[in-house]
Amino acid sequence: MKKIILTLMAVSFTFATANLVEEASKLDVKKVCDVKANGAKKVLDVAKKYNPEAIKLGIEFKRLGIRNKEYIKYTDKAIKLKKKETVIKYLDKKKKEKTKKFPTNYAAWRACTFAVRALQQKKEAEKTWRLAVPGDGYKY
Amino acid sequence: MKKKIISSLLIGSVVLLNAGDFNAQAEKDRKELQKYFETKFADRKNASKFFPYSTKEELDKNFKWGIKGDEFRLGSYAFNKTGRSQYEEIKEMPPYEDAIDEGKELYEKTKFKNGKSFKECFPDPAIAGDYPKFIKGKGVITLTGAINKCLKDNGEKTWKQTKGKMAKLEAYFAATSQEKGKKVNIKIDSKEAAEAYARGKKEYYSQRGYLKLSCASCHVQGAGQRVRNEYMSPLLGQTTHFPVYRLKWEGLGTLERRLKGCNKDQGENPHKPGSKWMNELAYFMAYMSNGMPVDGPDVRK
Repeated sequence: MKKIILTLMAVSFTFATANLVEEASKLDVKKVCDVKANGAKKVLDVAKKYNPEAIKLGIEFKRLGIRNKEYIKYTDKAIKLKKKETVIKYLDKKKKEKTKKFPTNYAAWRACTFAVRALQQKKEAEKTWRLAVPGDGYKY
Repeated sequence: MKKKIISSLLIGSVVLLNAGDFNAQAEKDRKELQKYFETKFADRKNASKFFPYSTKEELDKNFKWGIKGDEFRLGSYAFNKTGRSQYEEIKEMPPYEDAIDEGKELYEKTKFKNGKSFKECFPDPAIAGDYPKFIKGKGVITLTGAINKCLKDNGEKTWKQTKGKMAKLEAYFAATSQEKGKKVNIKIDSKEAAEAYARGKKEYYSQRGYLKLSCASCHVQGAGQRVRNEYMSPLLGQTTHFPVYRLKWEGLGTLERRLKGCNKDQGENPHKPGSKWMNELAYFMAYMSNGMPVDGPDVRK
């Protein structure tokens, strides 16, 4: 019984993951992450939807020492408080707390593109990885 | 009786044949990789095809050509003349020598609370070329993983997998392996091991992070090209010399430490040392250097 439940859980996890990767791969990232057209809140909602999947798959983006989940967390706070500037707190490689400031619209755009592109790249890599293998897809 | 012997022999040969087959793809990959790098660094004539961004002067003066097999264990110093001369100067007084001695002491003198020591887990310290290994039911285990397993099994606290005591003990294992003329000897002897290798290979060649770089972007297609003033090293031979003393780190680090750094440089939240992802990546990388001499510890920029 335990085995069946575990198998069902694994199957549903795989299915859900494949679904979100599939869904993200069909998005036009320029359109869905356009803050001018959609507003920062809607754009951040896209990031909130897809980034947890990127974390699960081990492909979450990180830039300037800041994980995308941190961009999302602090941009969300700034939007709720109607702040034009997002202050992101994060730990550097020596585990010291640091802060960086970004315009809120910019931070929302970044969080959104990072979340969507991570999943899109996952899908793209399924087709492209062999093109780089000598003796396989890579010709020289 | 005769029939029984024949059928036993037949079964035995089928089993043997299959055992040999599990590494067939990996062996093909390794040979193709070696052929690629030997072609890439064969002579000046083809250079503009492989190094489109290098100047004529750079290719004429700073590149060594005609590099073969085992020479690739030197990384970018195999072909980069300036880097090679700096490397040789540093090697006159290697900055990792004290670490080898400290590693030897850790191996010989560490007594666990239960009275046992590392000698029980690793009777022969010349084992650097034998890892990562695939253990049935447990997956890929790297040398750092095996050291931590030894500590854990004996009721001790595990060590950080990137530097410190771990790197020092590995430095002793690598130096002993080098002294005894050991070679990289990675085995793929089951279907599960072949699958772990295949996953590691796929991750190595997959583009990732916000920079959309694969490991191969820098260390296969990009090997020999420059990022700022540093030449990127080839995948072939890359795991033979770990742990390394990196001038950037001002200290010794394990392969896991380097992989974590590379993963971060790709623009991704790096995978943890000891994770299945990192172990399988290391398994693939190490297999690509199979048969090359263990060359660690060594020094890199």
